[in-house]
Amino acid sequence: MDRLFARQIAKATKSSGDVDLGALGKQVIAAYEEAKRDRQRTDRSIALMIEELDQLNRKLERQVEERTAELREREAELRAQNLRFDAAINNMSQGLLMFDAEGRLAIYNNRYFEVYGMPRDKVRIGMTVEELIRCRIESGTFVGDPVEYSARINALMAKGEAYNRLHELPDGRTVAVSSRPMPGGGWVVTHEDTTERRAAEKKIAHMAHHDALTDLPNRALLRERLAEALNHVSGGVQLAVFYLDLDNFKGINDTLGHQLGDELLKCVGDRLRARVPANATVARVGGDEFAIILPELGAINDAAILANQVCEAIRPPCDLCGHAVITDTSIGIAIAPDDGSDPDELMKKADMALYRAKAAGRGTFRFFEPEMDASIKARRAIEGALRAALARGEFLLHYQPILNPRENRITCCEALIRWQHPQRGLVGPAEFVSVAEEIGLIIPLGEWVLRQACADAARWPNDTKVAVNLSAIQVMNANLVPVVISALSAGRLELEITESVMMQNTEATLATLHRLRELGVRISMDDFGTGFSSLGYLRRFPFEKLKIDRSFIRDLVSDKNSLAIVRAVTTMAKSLGMITTVEGVETAEQLAQVSQLGCTEVQGFFIGRPQRLEDISRLLQDYAPRKAKTA
Amino acid sequence: MRVGQLSWREGVGWRADRADADKADLVLYFGTRAALGCGARYRELKAMFPGAHIFGCSTGGQIRNNDVTDDEVVAVALSFARTRLKLACAPAADATVSRAAGEAIGRALDADDLAGVFVLSDGLNVNGSALVAGIAATVRDGVSITGGLAGDGAQFAETLVGGDGAPCKHNVAAVGFYGTAVRIGHGSAGGWDEFGPRRKITRSQGNVLYELDGEPALDLYKRYLGEEADGLPGTALLFPLRIRDPQRPEESDLVRTVLAVDHEARSMTFAGDMPQGWVSQLMRGNFDRLAAGAADAARQAAGAMRDGEPGVAILVSCIGRRLLMGQHALDEVTAAGGEFAPQLPRLGFYSYGEISPHNRSGICQLHNQTMTVTAIAEAAE
Repeated sequence: MDRLFARQIAKATKSSGDVDLGALGKQVIAAYEEAKRDRQRTDRSIALMIEELDQLNRKLERQVEERTAELREREAELRAQNLRFDAAINNMSQGLLMFDAEGRLAIYNNRYFEVYGMPRDKVRIGMTVEELIRCRIESGTFVGDPVEYSARINALMAKGEAYNRLHELPDGRTVAVSSRPMPGGGWVVTHEDTTERRAAEKKIAHMAHHDALTDLPNRALLRERLAEALNHVSGGVQLAVFYLDLDNFKGINDTLGHQLGDELLKCVGDRLRARVPANATVARVGGDEFAIILPELGAINDAAILANQVCEAIRPPCDLCGHAVITDTSIGIAIAPDDGSDPDELMKKADMALYRAKAAGRGTFRFFEPEMDASIKARRAIEGALRAALARGEFLLHYQPILNPRENRITCCEALIRWQHPQRGLVGPAEFVSVAEEIGLIIPLGEWVLRQACADAARWPNDTKVAVNLSAIQVMNANLVPVVISALSAGRLELEITESVMMQNTEATLATLHRLRELGVRISMDDFGTGFSSLGYLRRFPFEKLKIDRSFIRDLVSDKNSLAIVRAVTTMAKSLGMITTVEGVETAEQLAQVSQLGCTEVQGFFIGRPQRLEDISRLLQDYAPRKAKTA
Repeated sequence: MRVGQLSWREGVGWRADRADADKADLVLYFGTRAALGCGARYRELKAMFPGAHIFGCSTGGQIRNNDVTDDEVVAVALSFARTRLKLACAPAADATVSRAAGEAIGRALDADDLAGVFVLSDGLNVNGSALVAGIAATVRDGVSITGGLAGDGAQFAETLVGGDGAPCKHNVAAVGFYGTAVRIGHGSAGGWDEFGPRRKITRSQGNVLYELDGEPALDLYKRYLGEEADGLPGTALLFPLRIRDPQRPEESDLVRTVLAVDHEARSMTFAGDMPQGWVSQLMRGNFDRLAAGAADAARQAAGAMRDGEPGVAILVSCIGRRLLMGQHALDEVTAAGGEFAPQLPRLGFYSYGEISPHNRSGICQLHNQTMTVTAIAEAAE
């Protein structure tokens, strides 16, 4: 019997044992209703659940469709991205490998095989570093232990440390290899053939430290080497610095051209290199200047010996494209530690010594001496003061009269420069003209003299000329002719030049002098008889006047030779159509004598000392009456 | 320990179903709101057992041994030889003070030798989860907390609890068992089957559920109940909700039952918390499996009993189970009883919520739609 029905009967059973059918019926009906309700509930739940699940299913299907479409789109995107990635890695200039977190090859590019010249069929995805290195060994591009190498790489990558190294390949090339860990494990390696780049870098580094023409170390490298060598100077060990230049390089350059000038510098460079000991450094420090560092110098004399050898080595003619070119070198030498331990100081002192060597006659050498420093300093002071003096107008002109004794008339006055020094008073040209020439100040100073002299002379009686001395540098200056043109009516100007001008025997100098002559300027040769006094000059240069040097006049009365020379010169000048001026006439006797010899003009203290403009102007006035009186 | 069993029926009065009940330390009694509301039953029992704590509540049906009745008051009188008892009460004006009420009771009962707490609470105005959490937080670890929420048939109007006083609403009472002689076994099981899709609790506040998967929860229930929706909130018990935390589904697995509905807000109030973000699934009962669940709960509790030893089994089963099973409710009571010795007295009630440690986590908490069994015995001297 059903358990529930049994309980229903039990519940409906009265204490008498009879079953209350009414009560039982109620219970049974209620149970049926409960069961019906439960069934309905169940049916409904199942129907709803099916409906809900169906909805859910459809929703999921929709989602799956959407996701699938999305995935397809992403897949296409990924494919495109992969193609781009492929193109990128296969077009990079570096070989590329990528290893996964397990240390197995995941990606490689074509360039990798090109870098190592490896057949690509040997390499496959999933290889370990060690297996790959074995392929490299087979292709002859790796030397070393593959086990040790791969263990090192794996350890470094596991630690997350980047690793860069240069591989020298057996064929001489260099490959820069860089391994970098990636976030999330694995690493990427690039292989770059840096052979050319390294060669270029080396070349650039070399160029930065070497002179392109001679391939000698340049000033920068010289300074580095000198600083380095100075570190080893101590105890008895000394060091010498030679500073050299070629004695007539400028002339060679001007006459033979820059190309041969360069060839000469190369030749000199080679000779210096061949001459010095192996531990010495030869450098070209500029123009025709060279330097030598002579380290580990035992005795000063060794430096002197080498300096002599260097001079001797330079002296033989260099054969430059068929020209046998001869040059000399002058050398200045400074010694560390005696002359200093600072590279710049030593170079400066060697340069000072060079200056002195050149002054001493070239083709020789000088050691630095402390007094050189002082004299150069003094010279520097004069240079500065001269420039300031020109700017401040401290120069002035004195004039010395030149007399025509036959006419007893002042025909010309020679302009002589003076410096009205604010402390020292009046300073003569001997003290500053050579300095002005060396520092180039002679050009503006000479121009000033020319203009001032012409301006002063403009106020003198009509035919009185003014004589101005020209230095060789002025004659070579292209600006001379225009300055003369603008200065004065040319017929009243005399320009006095010395032999030094004639020694610049160039076409340009000659042309300048002829041009001046054409302008009506009288050119006179100063100090005739003191130098070579080559008669060739007289033929080639357009002189109208010779000034016979005072040294002949001094002994004129007592020395027959002097007398003979003056007579001969005067006669020769006359026959060449030149006039003569005798300088240094200090007595009436001398005046009478030179007048008798036929000299055209006389100059000297007896006629008049160099004097201020006001005084000379007065003298010119005075001579006019004198002329009337003697006439 | 001695156990007497009594029952009361309108027009008949109290009858001793089992002797041995002349002297007692604790009387447990359960009856309908109508039978208990007047306070007469309390007074009668107090008169019979002046030295005992009189402790009981209103129900959704009483269990006496293998029977389920609606017209009886059922009671047991327990006398202990070596076990001390203490009874504590706390008012619970509304759900917001539930935890505080639990803490007050826990503090009143806690002692070094506290072995177990049996608690009865107002079934409509208390958040059972918060109440149990309050007790559990104030008594020492390892003390078992069992019991249930009082019921009111299928009316859901008013529930009563009485501890040494006439049963009244807004009341919580608990009895503590002390000493090492007392043995308390417990078990809890449902036997419900989940069905349909899983739904996420997308909006809730405490024990009030607003939305599942963005849809008002009440709409879902109405759809499933069809014409039975007229019987809400009672009929909602036909479809309990299984809820679990997706982060720790095993330990958090709970079944929740409805206490009230708000047609305007389209919300439902459950007997315990409905945490937002948890996953829920509707459940439905199959008579046989519900009965098997009850047997499972009884088996867990019976583990604490020794053969032939006097004791009592208190069965607290959910009103939802009874509403669904109808006359078949007897099946689960019989199945649970079958796990104990035939002579062991059993009583209990259909509740609005069951209290017992969780099967797996061991944490004392509120259950719904379960059969919860508490077995109490005292070791022989």
